[in-house]
Amino acid sequence: MTDHLGDLLSALLDGEMAPWQADAARVHMASCPACATELDAVGGARSWVRGLPPVDPPFGLYERMLRSRHRWARAGVAALTAGAAVSIGMVAFSSPREAPVSPPVARLVDAHTATASVAGDPLSQLVPAATPVSFPR
Amino acid sequence: MAGEGVPSWEEVARDYGRFLYTVAYRLTGNRDDAEDLVQEVLLRVRRGLHTYRPGSMEGWLSRIATNAFLDEMRRRRRRAVEPLPAQPDRVLPPEEAADEALAAEVLPADVEEALRRLPPDYRAAVVLCDVVGLPYHEIGETLGVPLGTVRSRIHRGRALLRAALGARR
Repeated sequence: MTDHLGDLLSALLDGEMAPWQADAARVHMASCPACATELDAVGGARSWVRGLPPVDPPFGLYERMLRSRHRWARAGVAALTAGAAVSIGMVAFSSPREAPVSPPVARLVDAHTATASVAGDPLSQLVPAATPVSFPR
Repeated sequence: MAGEGVPSWEEVARDYGRFLYTVAYRLTGNRDDAEDLVQEVLLRVRRGLHTYRPGSMEGWLSRIATNAFLDEMRRRRRRAVEPLPAQPDRVLPPEEAADEALAAEVLPADVEEALRRLPPDYRAAVVLCDVVGLPYHEIGETLGVPLGTVRSRIHRGRALLRAALGARR
């Protein structure tokens, strides 16, 4: 075996070689300082990464995600409802029927005058509510 | 988990929350991206985009996380938001002078930083092997590459880590 082991060194460390391959690799390394050194080097890196501790998620991360998911669901329902309301409104406004509106103006003015005089509402007293105003029909 | 069915979003969060976050953090190298990645994984779990195969839940979640991570890396590369180095070997600084580094301890923070600077494909292979502990054939399935490529990414990834951290042990 004259070629250096290269990638096979990591496979050896990870137990990813057939037993006969692993034996051959060890035989090679016994007489190849370069491969032995490289095995040591990648073995060190392997241990460092394996030694890294688990990382705790930020407090409440999953609860927050769960809540926002529910919020999205509610927002979806709200959007649908709003859409339906808009559609109904458009149908109502586009309706060709337009009934004439005739507010009972005289009666409203009388009622207001009566209330203002009883309540002594200062604003209403500035402008006499009974001032004749014509409301064209 | 009901029988062999797909685990629910809530079950994943409750039982594997820490594991999933750890994998996400090791892959992305920072907390913001890790959170986004966790969210993306849970979204994919909900949508049932990845077939759940009864067996190792960790393996399944890692597969989803890695795919989502590499998808995002590709998207960023296309948009050139975060240009990735074309030559993996040039990513890392030259080895420190041996005697300078010889006696120094390797701190987890140093290892994290070196891991963060690995090219994403190498990092994914190393994380799946040394953080998750998947066998090579499962890493190959996850990354969609043959065994020889898995072996070489893991080995080169480790060699780059070693070079970045100098001769320290």
